[in-house]
Amino acid sequence: MFDRRPSWIPAPPGKRAAAVAGGALLAATPALASAAEEASGIAALGFSLPSLVSNLINFTILLIVLRLFLYKPILRLLDERKARIQEGLERAEQAASEASASEAEARQAIEEAQQQARDLVAQAQEGAAQLRAELEERARADADQIVARAREEVAVERDQAIEQLRREFADLTITAAERVTRQSLDRAAHQRLIDEVLVEGGVGDQN
Amino acid sequence: MRWLVVAGIVVLIVGGFVLIKPPTPAIIVAPEYIFSIGPLEVTNTMFTSWFVVALMIVAAVLASRSMSLVPGGLSGAVEAFIGGFYQMTEGIVGEANARRFFPVVATIFLYVLVSNYVGLLPMNFAVGATHPGTGEVQAVFEQTSIAGIDMAYIPIQADTVDTTQEEALKAEHAGDSFSGLLAPLFRSVMTDVNAPLALAIMSFIFVEYWGLSTLGLGYLKKFFDFGNLMRLRPMGIIDVFVGLLELISELSRMVSFTFRLFGNIFAGEVLLLMMSFMVPLVLINVFYGLELFVGLIQAFVFAMLTLVFAQSAVTSHHGDEEHEAAHE
Repeated sequence: MFDRRPSWIPAPPGKRAAAVAGGALLAATPALASAAEEASGIAALGFSLPSLVSNLINFTILLIVLRLFLYKPILRLLDERKARIQEGLERAEQAASEASASEAEARQAIEEAQQQARDLVAQAQEGAAQLRAELEERARADADQIVARAREEVAVERDQAIEQLRREFADLTITAAERVTRQSLDRAAHQRLIDEVLVEGGVGDQN
Repeated sequence: MRWLVVAGIVVLIVGGFVLIKPPTPAIIVAPEYIFSIGPLEVTNTMFTSWFVVALMIVAAVLASRSMSLVPGGLSGAVEAFIGGFYQMTEGIVGEANARRFFPVVATIFLYVLVSNYVGLLPMNFAVGATHPGTGEVQAVFEQTSIAGIDMAYIPIQADTVDTTQEEALKAEHAGDSFSGLLAPLFRSVMTDVNAPLALAIMSFIFVEYWGLSTLGLGYLKKFFDFGNLMRLRPMGIIDVFVGLLELISELSRMVSFTFRLFGNIFAGEVLLLMMSFMVPLVLINVFYGLELFVGLIQAFVFAMLTLVFAQSAVTSHHGDEEHEAAHE
């Protein structure tokens, strides 16, 4: 359909009704036709080396410039941002783990303190009990000792009293016997004498 | 309110039909000559491609100047786009390969995308150089002078001259009308078959380079596998044949790359030309929407195919077999 047409035939304006051509462009003559002017078949598509080379150069320039100004800085920026975010997350995680660790530590410390307090109380109670037992023991021992001593004293006193009594009784008996032997006595006088001796000795009243 | 909008649209459509009469569109495949720089004949697609490259460089420099760790503004948008595209690349080929492939793949994508979108700007097919006396059905230009510069324009109700039946108009005096065709200054870059071809060649070169640099000379074994033939095994003939097929398919990728992109964008241009001739206002926007979509898809397809080919080039098939054997 298009292959017989000269390749440089311009298209008419499609959308805009008014077409304006610059004066400089107006001067251009149609004599300069592209290489594909008389070509037919696939060449009518307008293959041309200058255009191809121009496009290759265009692409190369774009590749270099975009790589320099767009891809490199942006990818670096994205990497940096990613690293920052990761770092932040890691730090947050670390902080959280640290916080939980310190919390556990604090709990452990509290527990230890409680345990210690419990131990102390138990120890104190034990000590008190021991002390009480000791004191009781000592008190009992003291009491026993006192009782024993008292008993001993009583026994000594009693022995002394008995001794004294015996001695006095012997004296009294001797005295009574003397009196008896000095006077002959009837039975009643006999008794009276004994009672006198006893009253004089004070034995009957004291015991 | 709603009825007012509907009425406005109807008025625009009808008004477009009645008031605006564009010249008959001439469909030209090859890019048109615009001006010369020394020996170089600059065509409109070449000119537009320079425009696109300049635009992208300016945008890249502007975006890179305001880059910071905390994103925002233009650089934030560019960054988000590049970052997203990189994430996708990484998802397909893994991190190590993504770092190598990404610049080329992203440049292909961006260049094709921006080219296609610049090709949809309204300045396309509106401003350009006149080629008097060319074409079968020629548009009639009026001459005028604005601020001392001579110009020509096609009036809103365009006349056309069918040169098979009548004589072409020639301007013999200053200010006369003449007939000819308009070579637009801007034309969608990818409608020039050389542009997709250049990209396809670049894609091919990079894919082969990555294959060679990763697998060494072993990469070529995929294409020239004479191992079994040398040992006089009958399988050798099949290996050689398979290698030949691989080689042909590798080379034919360039052709398919070229014509897929060229065909889609050129067809889109023809569609827009014809539709803007038939329905100059409002309804044409549907087709612009369609072309926006096509432009994006084609850019994406070109980039993704390059990525996939690159990935398959750096993957050692021989190594895979050994790997599987080791597992068994």
